[in-house]
Amino acid sequence: MPDVVIASRSVAKQSRGLPGRLLRGLRPLAMTVPLLLPSLARAQSSPWIRVGANGVLLYTFADPVPRGRSLAEVRLVQPAIMVHAGALSNRLRLLSTINFEGLTMPAGELTPGAWGEGFIDRRHPHTYLHELVLSADDLLGGIDGSTRFSLAAGKGFAPFGTDDPMVRPVVRYPVNHHLAQILERLVAIAGVRTGPIAVEAGLFNGDEPERPGQWPKLSRFGDSWSGRLTALPTASVELQGSYARVHSPEHRPGAGTEQHKWSVSGRWDGDVSGKPVYALVEWARTSEAEGFFVFRSFLAEGAWTRGASRLHYRFERTARPEEQRTLDPFRSIRPHFENSILGTTRWTIHTLGYGYRLGDSSTRLDALPFVEVSYGRMADTGGGVFDVRSFYGRDTFWSLEIGLRLSPGMPMHRMGRYGVAQDTADSGGMEYDDHHEH
Amino acid sequence: MITMNTRRAALPILLIALAACGDDRAAPQPIVPASIAASGGTGQTAQTGSPLPTPLTVLVTDATDTPVPDVVVAWSVVDGGGGVPATSLTNSAGLASATFTLGPVVGQQGAQAQVSGLTGSPVVFTATATQEPGGTDLSVVSGGNNVPERFSSDLWVHGNYAYSGTWGFRENEGNTLKVWSLGAAGSPTLVESIIVPEIGTVSDVQVSDDGQLLVLSGEAGTNGGIYLYSLSNPAAPSFLSSALVGEAGVHTVTLSTIDGRLYAFASRNPGFPEEEATDPALLIYDVTDPEAPTLVATEVFPERDYGIHDTFVRDGIAFAFVWDNPGLVIYDVGNGIRGGSPSAPVEISRLITATNGVCCGPSVHNGWWFHNPVTSERRYLFIGQEGAATIGSNSSGDIHVVDVSDLAQPHEVAFFHLNGAGTHNFWMDEERQILYAAYYNGGVVALDVSGTLSGNLSGRLLSQVKPGGTGNTFTWGVQLANGYLYAIDMLSGLWQLTTE
Repeated sequence: MPDVVIASRSVAKQSRGLPGRLLRGLRPLAMTVPLLLPSLARAQSSPWIRVGANGVLLYTFADPVPRGRSLAEVRLVQPAIMVHAGALSNRLRLLSTINFEGLTMPAGELTPGAWGEGFIDRRHPHTYLHELVLSADDLLGGIDGSTRFSLAAGKGFAPFGTDDPMVRPVVRYPVNHHLAQILERLVAIAGVRTGPIAVEAGLFNGDEPERPGQWPKLSRFGDSWSGRLTALPTASVELQGSYARVHSPEHRPGAGTEQHKWSVSGRWDGDVSGKPVYALVEWARTSEAEGFFVFRSFLAEGAWTRGASRLHYRFERTARPEEQRTLDPFRSIRPHFENSILGTTRWTIHTLGYGYRLGDSSTRLDALPFVEVSYGRMADTGGGVFDVRSFYGRDTFWSLEIGLRLSPGMPMHRMGRYGVAQDTADSGGMEYDDHHEH
Repeated sequence: MITMNTRRAALPILLIALAACGDDRAAPQPIVPASIAASGGTGQTAQTGSPLPTPLTVLVTDATDTPVPDVVVAWSVVDGGGGVPATSLTNSAGLASATFTLGPVVGQQGAQAQVSGLTGSPVVFTATATQEPGGTDLSVVSGGNNVPERFSSDLWVHGNYAYSGTWGFRENEGNTLKVWSLGAAGSPTLVESIIVPEIGTVSDVQVSDDGQLLVLSGEAGTNGGIYLYSLSNPAAPSFLSSALVGEAGVHTVTLSTIDGRLYAFASRNPGFPEEEATDPALLIYDVTDPEAPTLVATEVFPERDYGIHDTFVRDGIAFAFVWDNPGLVIYDVGNGIRGGSPSAPVEISRLITATNGVCCGPSVHNGWWFHNPVTSERRYLFIGQEGAATIGSNSSGDIHVVDVSDLAQPHEVAFFHLNGAGTHNFWMDEERQILYAAYYNGGVVALDVSGTLSGNLSGRLLSQVKPGGTGNTFTWGVQLANGYLYAIDMLSGLWQLTTE
């Protein structure tokens, strides 16, 4: 009988004031799940399961949105349940994430600049089964010495690029989501790690989902591939470079154009002067239609934590395609039936946010009220009929996001890292001064 | 008795045969040319003053039909005043060739090959000389920059009115049919704008031959489909009916009269998402009663690919242009060669045209079946390839020429490539054998398509104009009417051009 656990964070600050009392009020609810759970430590040597959940109640105001209006709305975004399991001294691992955005935000999340999967200026809802990957690590045991070889398969992320934005400190999705990650595919991944170097190669289906309830197209499995090289020179530093060849991502039957994608990033996740600091710098490039369209992205973000307070910032400059939209200005025409776009826009965005963590280890419930402000500039690049000023009324925007992130149980992991890459998968840059484990 | 006679006769024959064999081994007899016949190059067409694309060729053989080399063949012109070399020599295959450059006389011309004493000599070749289409010079007469609030799409001109569609979103949705009055000098003046509700693009427009009915196709909205309007008052089309297909929409619609009834051939887009929507299809409506369009046939393309983009219907043959897969599809819809009808189309053949290095495949988009009144040929189908593009800025795609003289076996014979731009819709001046092609950021192109078409046609470019100028030109379609060429440009609206 496997143990069942929910990971708890090791140390907690005392919660303060009304929020603290609120959290204490939620304690019975939060404690009902942990009743099932013995200790994490014991789980590492025998079969174990961890459970966690996440959700962000979010108010968003954006000005302008398409057609020059402003818009405000409240949504429950990123609602997810994570179930992780391990056995055979963690040689066998299961990662799963169930995502409920298809129910809570079927029309997407208001996010100026976001695009993909038929949404534009709204971030698309993820599929219900966001991730379900079984991985077998260190398959050769001691035969290959300290080198480890792993295989992983299931539905999840291709070994390419950086972490899912959902597990990063900035709540607002970056414009480069579809340039810097490849997710929700049927994947088969082989990995090798020796010392600080890990190499992964994966096969997957090129088609991206068209709606939350859709499964990857099985017949297209293997029409796309990617490889990622990761170096971990220190415990806090991670460098990666990856390449992917993705066939017809936006045309599910497979008649669409091919993408060649590159990603390079450097990531810091460790202490600076005894305080947790997270930083990410990434560059991504996607070349499509035999080089007819090229989109580039540069992004830098960081989070500084002191006690229960966290300050985060992101700078992003990303080019995105402008596609013909339907009568709903937040949707682009699907499926494609021509290889044309209306132009390319470059989005330069600064996002500054502040969050204050409520709760403690006894509640096993993290709560993070936060506020985020973004200011951005849009520019037409490379010609085409799309005109920023005509469509938005001006070439700058700002948005305000006020929200509450709730994370009972296990915190969100770095999605998309399986097998030999999973060593680095426990932290998504969401650490707090009071539970930092490094 | 019969047996005995046969045996008696066989002996001398055997002896002669053996003797003959012995003679062959000892001293071969010289091969004596006995006859001459045409081997290639007959029945060609070219412009006056130009060489025929294929050399005239004769075959010289001996009495046993063995090719004879090194025979001097004399060539001469017999009609039309053209030129041929005086002589040529047969090669090891017995073939002798000569290039025939046509003379200045339009019509039938002739040349002959002669070897004295040979059976079949002289061999006479005939060719058709067509008029050199010189003098085509595209230039702007009037119009332009007259639809500032919307991007323009398709165009149809009938009588003194023109009708154009709108596309996508500029300052307003592309949900409008524009009605233009053409003045005494052909200059367009906007007289009416008709909104088609719940669509984002009026993607195609056509008027029936009798000028009584206008049909348009709508897409990019919830009310995609075809819309029919009465032109009893051509300045103010009045809505009659529609046949809706939902959000997938209809990309183009083509009217054609077959056996006295009027039909609309509609190209339905692939639906979304895949599992819940209809496949792309050719929908054929009987619109003889335009107030009650009736769907009579549905030809589905389950490949889904990028769907069917356009149709060209003539003489009961429907050409469907269905992107990369299946590419060109030819139907009998009333021609009779396969017993098809509009309600029961019969597929004749398919062809996937060449990519020509254009991203991202054959991208078979539109076409025109050329009925050449000069040669009476119905040999060539021009196909537009719509490659990758940034709308309003750059584009790609060639014109492909397909020989459909045998509709069951179409094959590509020529192409035209314009650097830096891609082709879109066509119109033809068939009398003058000129193809006019909208070429997006390349504007409008006039192409000489007289004579035999083969290989790269880049030398046949007659004229090119960018009506709105560089940066303000992205031409969707053209139509020849009332002695002018009208061009509809996505950026700069409706233009009146002259071709002289």
